Amino acid sequence: MIEVRHLKKSFGSLHVLRDIDLKVEKGDVVAILGPSGSGKSTFLRSLIDLEEADGGDIIIDGKYLCKDGKYPKNKEKKAILDKTGMVFQHFNLFPHMDIEKNLMLAPLMQKKGSRADIAALALEMLTKVGLADKLHEMPKNLSGGQKQRVAIARALMLKPDVMLFDEPTSALDPELTGEVLNVIRELSKENMTMLIVTHEIGFAREAANKILFLDGGYTAAFGSPEEVLENSGSERINAFLKKVL
Amino acid sequence: MPLNEWIPQMLTGCELTLKLFFITIALSMPLGLCLTFLYTSKNPVISRIVGFYILIMRGTPLLLQIFFVYFGLPYMPLVGKYLVIKDRFNAGAIAFILNYGAYFAEIFRGGLLSVDKGQYEAAKVLGLTDMQTRTKIVLPQMFRIALPAISNEAIILIKDTALITAIGLTDLLKVTQSIVNRTTQISAFVVAAAFYLVMSYALTFVFKLIEKKFEY
Repeated sequence: MIEVRHLKKSFGSLHVLRDIDLKVEKGDVVAILGPSGSGKSTFLRSLIDLEEADGGDIIIDGKYLCKDGKYPKNKEKKAILDKTGMVFQHFNLFPHMDIEKNLMLAPLMQKKGSRADIAALALEMLTKVGLADKLHEMPKNLSGGQKQRVAIARALMLKPDVMLFDEPTSALDPELTGEVLNVIRELSKENMTMLIVTHEIGFAREAANKILFLDGGYTAAFGSPEEVLENSGSERINAFLKKVL
Repeated sequence: MPLNEWIPQMLTGCELTLKLFFITIALSMPLGLCLTFLYTSKNPVISRIVGFYILIMRGTPLLLQIFFVYFGLPYMPLVGKYLVIKDRFNAGAIAFILNYGAYFAEIFRGGLLSVDKGQYEAAKVLGLTDMQTRTKIVLPQMFRIALPAISNEAIILIKDTALITAIGLTDLLKVTQSIVNRTTQISAFVVAAAFYLVMSYALTFVFKLIEKKFEY
């Protein structure tokens, strides 16, 4: 479903991604772990064209988003990324619109159906994340956990096949992370393909079927949680786990 | 203090003051918005030209600009003969619009810079086009952020309008001056001050309402 080969990216003289490979099958839940500065977020963002790679390939559903560091035209990029959704660390809800409008804007703009159908879908998605009663609230009146659940519902409005999560719980108070992780867990049960940059090792171990461990812009390990977290034999990984656990 | 004589005269003066105010506001804000987009465009030539325009407009006195548009333009080499603006009010209004457009451009640019980068990213991953992002996400937030500064600018403008008397037009201040000259009663200036205060206060009030309406 997603294939990445030898991905490279630098900001000036800083090489953030040096050589990253990844193969994601449909229904995979991939947790992306690694020390800060290892390129996790940059890597995830490059999968949805928020960062442009300098070299390597990104192939989504058989189509090249990036071939040897070269990108197709905007329109084509858009078509390739049509089925990819993203959720950010800081939610990035639109503060001047109520929750319903936040959810409806993108499908309306992309003419994905009648206004009534889209409104019904918005209610359905909000119900799914347990916030149907917040339909007409403004974002500022929600807690962090609620905002993130709305952000997830907003991404789901476009019926993505792949969801990218960039540290979805890092900006939340500890007691609010559970509600967001629960929603992500539910999505994995529905066979949604997901890539999640996270610091929640426990969650990664339990909810992900694959773990990508990045270190210094390289793939340090990629495999099942047991393989990566318990039997990698890598000192770097063990040192990292000791620090965060 | 024969207020019953002064006030009607002053009200006719206010008419010009208000006319100039509303025309300037109505045209300089859209001008400012266009200038902001040109200024922040990726084309460095366009950006430089607009930057230079803003430098001139903010860096020279409005009074001088009014003189220039009314008296100076016809003397421009080559194009001068096409730039004769006979109507004093039109000439004055053009100077005001060009000048305030530059200030509004800077105000809007400030608002634009305050819109969080994450808003653009969210719009992008939701598949919005640049135009949709601009009209639905960026402009409403920019406008809200800029409102206090816009309000401030409007209050400055209502008093700046008095500069138009320099090219021989009769506004509130000019009417008052002639009353003082005629009657030798300085207190007419106090009445004029009250007029300006009322207008400024009304503006403050209206902008408070607008701010409330666009609160989020």
